[in-house]
Amino acid sequence: MPKILIVDDDPDLVEAVTMILESKEYDVIAAYGGIEGLEKAKTEEPDLIVLDVMMPDKDGYAVCKELKGDPQYSKIPILLLTAVVSKISTTRYTQQMGLETEADDYIDKPVEPAELVKRIEVLLGRA
Amino acid sequence: MASGARILVVDDEQIMREGCIRILSKEDWEVVTAENGEAGLKAMEEGEGFDVVLLDLMMPGISGMEVLEAVQRVDASLLVIVITGYATVESAVEAMKKGAYDFVPKPFTPDQLRIVVKRALDKRALQREMDVLKSEREKSLRDIATEKSRIVTIINCMGDGVLVCDRDSCVVLTNPAAGRMLGIQESSLIGKPLSECSIEPTLTETIMESLRSADSTFPTVSRELCPSDSASTFLRAHTAPVKNDLGETLGAVTVLQDITSLKELDRMKSDFVAMVSHELRSPVASIQQQLSVILEGLSGDLTERQMRMLTRAKERAGGLLDLINDLLDLSKIEAGMVVQYKEPLQLEELLKEVHKSMLPEIEAKSLMMKLHVERAVPPVNGDRNNLKGVFTNLVDNAIKYTPEGGEITIRIKGAGKNVRVEVSDTGIGISKVDLSRIFDRFYRVKSEKTRQIVGTGLGLSIVKHIVEAHLGTISVESEEGGGSTFTVVLPAGSISST
Repeated sequence: MPKILIVDDDPDLVEAVTMILESKEYDVIAAYGGIEGLEKAKTEEPDLIVLDVMMPDKDGYAVCKELKGDPQYSKIPILLLTAVVSKISTTRYTQQMGLETEADDYIDKPVEPAELVKRIEVLLGRA
Repeated sequence: MASGARILVVDDEQIMREGCIRILSKEDWEVVTAENGEAGLKAMEEGEGFDVVLLDLMMPGISGMEVLEAVQRVDASLLVIVITGYATVESAVEAMKKGAYDFVPKPFTPDQLRIVVKRALDKRALQREMDVLKSEREKSLRDIATEKSRIVTIINCMGDGVLVCDRDSCVVLTNPAAGRMLGIQESSLIGKPLSECSIEPTLTETIMESLRSADSTFPTVSRELCPSDSASTFLRAHTAPVKNDLGETLGAVTVLQDITSLKELDRMKSDFVAMVSHELRSPVASIQQQLSVILEGLSGDLTERQMRMLTRAKERAGGLLDLINDLLDLSKIEAGMVVQYKEPLQLEELLKEVHKSMLPEIEAKSLMMKLHVERAVPPVNGDRNNLKGVFTNLVDNAIKYTPEGGEITIRIKGAGKNVRVEVSDTGIGISKVDLSRIFDRFYRVKSEKTRQIVGTGLGLSIVKHIVEAHLGTISVESEEGGGSTFTVVLPAGSISST
């Protein structure tokens, strides 16, 4: 089964996302911060990374930039987890995101389980 | 001075005195006589307010010349007409040199005397008038000086900066506060053209604009500026031209306000709101996430009752999250972070996108939605996402407040230099009381019909902010039970963004 790395500083959220992914039989590894996430991305070489944006030690943008800038890891699809939801914020965010990151996709927190699974399947080319 | 004048006749000859009384009394002048110099001086000292003195030069006791000198000392304005007995010009000339006003040679005719006295009285009257004018003028000058000093003191004591320029844009008046705010010595500003004053360019430009204005009703222009040397000071400049009665510009007055502390407070408030919102949002998002995992049955099967309660809990958490997000939007907008990316936009395209994204909700309530677009509507210059947010919000409201089977109509038209978008519905409408407050923050229409509708009461307040940030207006027309029409008017786009 594909291996998915979930990076978020909120352990409750990591647990919830893990449960969603494990229900679909994915192999899930967790990291609880940007630095740890970056490390695990390199050592574990997951098939996909679910990456939170707002993290105290190193934010999602920085992690994303570093991985995408490294040819060895740039192929790993990254799904950004953004805490900005709802109408106006979302759309403005979308634009900023497009300008600032090279993430493959993003999804607002909290995520609907079905939506998260769908997005991941698309990124893994299994849709 | 034709009547009521007082004349003193000083002569030792009784005939002369009586003659003078006879001649002068006819003119309705009051005549007092004295038979020698001492008596004459005494009469004058007693302050009887004479206008003219007729003075014989040749008298026993003190002579006419001495009396003349004494008169000069007592009241130099008193006019003395010398009567010379010998008809010698020399003594008359000497008396004139000593300050006598005129002379009458003896013997004289009544007419001669009358003419000379009349002339003296006229002169006296003119003198008086001149004195009055002179003192009035002195008083006005004093008043002006006082007024000027008062104004200078007021200007110097003011906490706001004052900068007055003449029509050649030279600084003619300023105060310590202005010097302090601009970081320039007050004294080094006076008399210099603005262009040499190393003043913040925006301010110079504002003042020049004001000086150039030909319009007689050129309004006060207010601008925020940030003096070049420090980014930590913010000023607000109010500039207005000074016009004369012909409408010509004589100069410009600028009042500077230090708004640094206001800005700082505003920033702190926005920071606080943003911080609180972030801190609130993460846990709520986390709660929602956990609830959705449980509701999926990923942590085990749920009873129907658990399912129902948790579904409701998730909805409530969602409502809380909406409120936090709206608050965040509002604080961002107020912090001036809105309208960052302006581009020419075709509203038709934008509204089609909005329509498409709202289709599920529209279909769920079997509503009919129509989009009418006039031909050749110009684009507007705006922030795509913000404006999309505006129309999403308006359409969302129309959907929420329109009962099943109703109709929503969007019209886009050109209106002069503006583009007008109307979002109409056949919904429950808005009462008069609510209508005036509908754009207020946190205001929600509370009634039996709206109880089931969720919302934060921030949507329209945000919409208004965004529309106004685009230099547009939003208005609403509605009748209770008769649907509502929201009208957004935006300036048609020129490519240059401001």
